[in-house]
Amino acid sequence: MLRVFALTAALLLLLGAPLGLRSQGSKVFPYDTKVEVLANGLKVVCVPLSNPNIIAYYTIVRSGSRNEVEPGKSGFAHFFEHMMFKGTKAVPRPAYDDYLTRLGAGTNGFTSDDHTVYFVVFAGRDNLEEVVKTEADRFINLYYDEETIKTEASVIEGEYYASVSSPERRLAELLRDTAYEKHSYKHTTLGFLKDIQDMPNQYDYSLLYKKRFYAPDNSILLVVGDFDQARLMELVKKYYSPWQSSNYQLVTPVEPPQNKAKRARLAWPSKTLARLAIGFHGPAFSDEKIDKAALDLLAAVAFSNSSPIYQKLVIEEQKCQNLFAGFPDRRDPSLLTIGAVIKKDEDLPAVEQAVWQELERLKTELVSAELLSDIKSNLKYSLAGGLDTSDGVAGTLFFYISLTADPGSVNKLFDLYDKVTPADIRDTAKKYFTLPNSTTVTLTGGQAQ
Amino acid sequence: MNAFKFLLTFLLLAGLALAAGSCSKKADPNKLTSELLPVADNPLVSFHILLKVGSANDPAGKEGLGQLALGLLANGGTKTLTFQEITKRFYPMAAQVDLAVDKEMSVFTTTIHRDNLDKFYALFRDMLLDPGFREEDFNRLKADQLNFLEKTLVGNMDEEFGKDILNLALYEGHPYGHQEAGTVESVKSLTLDDLKSFYKQNFLQGNIVIGLAGGYPQGFPEKVLADFAKLPEGRTPALALPQPQAPQGLEFVIAEKQTPATAISLGFPLAISRADDDFFALWMAVAHFGEHRQHLSLLFQKIREQRGQNYGDYAYAEHFIQGRDKFPATNTCRRQQYFSIWIRPLSNSNRHFVIRQALRELRRLVEEGISEERFNLVRTYLLNYTKLYAQTLGERLGWQMDSHYYGYQDFLAEVQQRLPQLTREDVNRAVKKYLNFQNIRIAIITQDAVKLRDDLVANRPSPITYANPNMPKEVLDEDLAIQVYPLEVSPEKVRIAPAASFFQKPGLPQQ
Repeated sequence: MLRVFALTAALLLLLGAPLGLRSQGSKVFPYDTKVEVLANGLKVVCVPLSNPNIIAYYTIVRSGSRNEVEPGKSGFAHFFEHMMFKGTKAVPRPAYDDYLTRLGAGTNGFTSDDHTVYFVVFAGRDNLEEVVKTEADRFINLYYDEETIKTEASVIEGEYYASVSSPERRLAELLRDTAYEKHSYKHTTLGFLKDIQDMPNQYDYSLLYKKRFYAPDNSILLVVGDFDQARLMELVKKYYSPWQSSNYQLVTPVEPPQNKAKRARLAWPSKTLARLAIGFHGPAFSDEKIDKAALDLLAAVAFSNSSPIYQKLVIEEQKCQNLFAGFPDRRDPSLLTIGAVIKKDEDLPAVEQAVWQELERLKTELVSAELLSDIKSNLKYSLAGGLDTSDGVAGTLFFYISLTADPGSVNKLFDLYDKVTPADIRDTAKKYFTLPNSTTVTLTGGQAQ
Repeated sequence: MNAFKFLLTFLLLAGLALAAGSCSKKADPNKLTSELLPVADNPLVSFHILLKVGSANDPAGKEGLGQLALGLLANGGTKTLTFQEITKRFYPMAAQVDLAVDKEMSVFTTTIHRDNLDKFYALFRDMLLDPGFREEDFNRLKADQLNFLEKTLVGNMDEEFGKDILNLALYEGHPYGHQEAGTVESVKSLTLDDLKSFYKQNFLQGNIVIGLAGGYPQGFPEKVLADFAKLPEGRTPALALPQPQAPQGLEFVIAEKQTPATAISLGFPLAISRADDDFFALWMAVAHFGEHRQHLSLLFQKIREQRGQNYGDYAYAEHFIQGRDKFPATNTCRRQQYFSIWIRPLSNSNRHFVIRQALRELRRLVEEGISEERFNLVRTYLLNYTKLYAQTLGERLGWQMDSHYYGYQDFLAEVQQRLPQLTREDVNRAVKKYLNFQNIRIAIITQDAVKLRDDLVANRPSPITYANPNMPKEVLDEDLAIQVYPLEVSPEKVRIAPAASFFQKPGLPQQ
């Protein structure tokens, strides 16, 4: 029996599992991270866990729709993500598919504003070398011809069609397009339809895109799970060292301050619940400056499902089916968005007015210390709830790494949350939630077909 | 180390199962059962409270009752606390209760940090065992359910709409034959008393499986079981399931709406489920043909990769709900299953071609089976990929529960045992026995439905064009065969109805 207890204690130490978030001094992200940088600039972040036999292997390319700064190139980061599955001369597409299939890996890529991420989640540390070798090969030696790009471009159009019936997708497109004048956050990750339709003609640009952004100095490897750190680094050095750095300096356009409120409206061709979205230009992500942390807490104070306005509009008056705020973390200043799904079109003005009243209240009244404490607790337990597998740890950590290239950012951010005071929340509300800084878009339904 | 960890888990599991005095096997069918998965070093605790009652149990005229009644437990107040108060108390714990209602079972799931276990459980217990049945919660959730049927499903999510039309078509006149949320007409008629009666008739010990996983303290399962043992003993009588009507030829249902893209789902009832020995062989064949969101899928290769028609094309040997990432969700077990193909939305101009292509590929599968090379590839794939199915606590618990439902100790371990014993002949035999390419129901969401019907009935050629002027010759040659591939379509077997007319009343809309 003693042996069983000793074993449990050893496992806890090995896993670095938190005994409880309330424990003094425990970090919200509890695992040790090890960072090494290759001579070509490739950063490697490792989180060894004794999670049963599963390894999550993430390649983070710090290039997303933010990088689409040239006219006509919206959606290109996402398009290029598709091209990354086309194989190399050494491992052509069929062989690449065959390798992934035999590995039985959970694998995919996804693109966002600031990053494109590729993951391979697989069982068995014996497979590690094959994964490192094959992934390195495709990032260094990707090869496809002009015909391939033309066929894949129509797949992207198909992806656009897959969500064509989603009002949220269309509303998000309209909000960005209206709110931004210059910055590449003006378009969604999928891009403008006219640019998608021109993708078959972009072979040459795709080569340029790869050269600029798919380089070790713009990428980070994140490996989490059951592997030996020394062995991993030996393999990474062996296979990734030939990757040439790019030294390309992206210049993203600076979004000018918005001085006048904007509005736009979308009509939906069939019956639908009405939608409202109000966007405000906000700050970029920072794990040092208080603004973004204060806004994260503010979003919860004002619009979480325990907030007074949510309780009023969704639960009591039942004007809304949903009410939410999204203040996303982005490398450049981005939109803080408040959204509502409204049951009757005629209630749309009242809901909009209620949102503004809530924002005005936050500019004058101080949030209670108790509420603030509840919100900080929610954020910590939300994060902790996703950390019980290799993939969960990688899926959490990659996001912060993509923003700052620093795996410590996640804990720095939570340290910053702890410092936010009710006065910080009031001051940030005053600073960002002004009428001239707002863009309002609405969607209402037409007649059913 | 992993072996030791397994041993530790096993010892704790065995000890707690004994201590709880309950196990899912050989239990009194009128009393509670439990599924325990202790993982001492995990700071989280997952609950799966499963009710062996689903939408198939909804009485005629009250379709959607189970969804609304159980929704009121998951999203309503208790006798002592309003839902607002519960939400406020949940918030610092980042707690929420999810509900999934399927045809024959429903499950409340949640994962909570063990720091908050006692506080959370006290609320969760009262939500399920001492519900408030408050008028304001009822009105809110009923309106949400109606909006989902009338607006969201029909107007905002064509991929799901297509799958639901297929379900209506597969199970007309059958207890599975309605959307879990019911119909507009039936939901409008539901009263709070209906929900109270549902609770009284179905929240019985014998209907409930208490699933618990993770780092809960010693004695916790006993406490939960003791609380739920206060429910009356008994169970809902087993529902008689008639055989679903087999399709006679190609039977089309077209929902017409203004849309730039056509969504397609097709399939037929299967006389086999995961509980059958033949399932493993059939599952291998279907993985080869259309593994969900994997390059392995032949349909994906042919329709998306070679021709760029859409975002993906897949096939399923049983009802499939996507869980985390692309893995199958758990706790959607059924006694009767169906085979299906899901063609993701594609340009309206290519719809006829792709319908032909999918049916032609199905015919080739049935007639030619799979090659030895593909057989070996699929087997290796499934042996490895299924090792990823049960990673989170909730997934591990869900797979444990589903294993027992279908009569296995551990289905995923069974996969590792069974697949190496199968031969290509076993797989091809299962294909011939269970699949067909002639008797199929086909659900389509598109515009200009009459034109599509006429094209289908007349077997008009359906050539397609490509942005790529240098398409491979083998693809173009195959296209010549696909574009004239004959389908036997009778005009009376093509039902067309406006999209907005679906889910108004039980069954398919009348033409």
